[in-house]
Amino acid sequence: MFKRPSSRSRSNHESLELPLVPILDTMVTLIGFLLFTTSFLGIVAIESPLPQSSPEEVKEQIKEKPLQLTLTFKEKEVLLWSPFNKIPSRSIPHSAQGEPNIKAIHDALLDVKKQFPKESSVVFMPNKDATYDNLVAIMDSVRTLEPSDPPIYLKNETTGVDEALKYLFPKVIFGNLLGDS
Amino acid sequence: MSSSRGIRARRGRKSINKSFELQLTSMMDALVIIVVFLLKSYNTSSNSFTTAPGLKLPISGSPDSPSDSLQVIVTPEFLTIDNERVLDFIQTAGNAGSNEGGYSFKPSDIDEGGFRIIPLYDALIKSREKTEILLAKSSARVDGKPITFEGILAVQADKKIKYDTLKKIMYTAGAAGYKVFKFLAMKRET
Repeated sequence: MFKRPSSRSRSNHESLELPLVPILDTMVTLIGFLLFTTSFLGIVAIESPLPQSSPEEVKEQIKEKPLQLTLTFKEKEVLLWSPFNKIPSRSIPHSAQGEPNIKAIHDALLDVKKQFPKESSVVFMPNKDATYDNLVAIMDSVRTLEPSDPPIYLKNETTGVDEALKYLFPKVIFGNLLGDS
Repeated sequence: MSSSRGIRARRGRKSINKSFELQLTSMMDALVIIVVFLLKSYNTSSNSFTTAPGLKLPISGSPDSPSDSLQVIVTPEFLTIDNERVLDFIQTAGNAGSNEGGYSFKPSDIDEGGFRIIPLYDALIKSREKTEILLAKSSARVDGKPITFEGILAVQADKKIKYDTLKKIMYTAGAAGYKVFKFLAMKRET
């Protein structure tokens, strides 16, 4: 026997519904918060200290003869040298387009870092026509080690464990602010 | 008569009771995708750096985020300190309207053999004095002494600017007591 239509509509088959409205409220709040607080414009900074030296430091340096790794930018080349002749001078010619050869500069600095793993600073002597774009590109290649670079290890003096270095020469100092090129 | 009225009333009630339901599931899908995208590209910064129209920053792979500091913006047309225009470069017929700019200074704006930019120096000194007063009045102390002036200057410059102009800005900042420069660049997408 069939049930009466009225009793069929009032059957116990209650559909289970997720309470989506409060979840939706949370989502909308979360999106609003993320949109408000996120910064889509990624800005990074490259730090460079003003060159300074105190008389005591100078005395110490004269005793030890520092590397004082220097990159001099010329019209058609970049010169890698040390004022105390700790490394042989190397000239890295610009590319055919007249731009500094970033890869060759990075490779040359990698060789120097292998010899002097404790050294962390490099002196920049750009010529007056060097563009900011090129300076930033060279600073990047001078400061950071690429994942494809061979690892360079340095013994951690506190733990005594060899640790792979993360940076090449992170401290970039502009050495010709007073006009000598 | 009464029975026909009852049937009509019931029909009317049926049409009112038909509940209208929003398709929330598909909306939820869209919102979840937006939330995941925002969380993936979430990048917060404690400071808000402003930029000038027409300024094209170089691209860098540096991992360092800029800290809160005084900001100098150098565009092909002018120079600002904390959004206050302090200097206009000379615009010649050759560079007017172009993005390259000449970055030429008026002779009255520079001294010390062409190294120091006078309006920039004055603005930096003013800003330094203001910061030092605020630090002295602040309750924050390090070993019982007020926090010293760090002298950090964030430089935001167009990528085509020549080192000659940058050098003058750095020299001027050094003369005004700013010892650390932070060159700002656009983050390279990896």
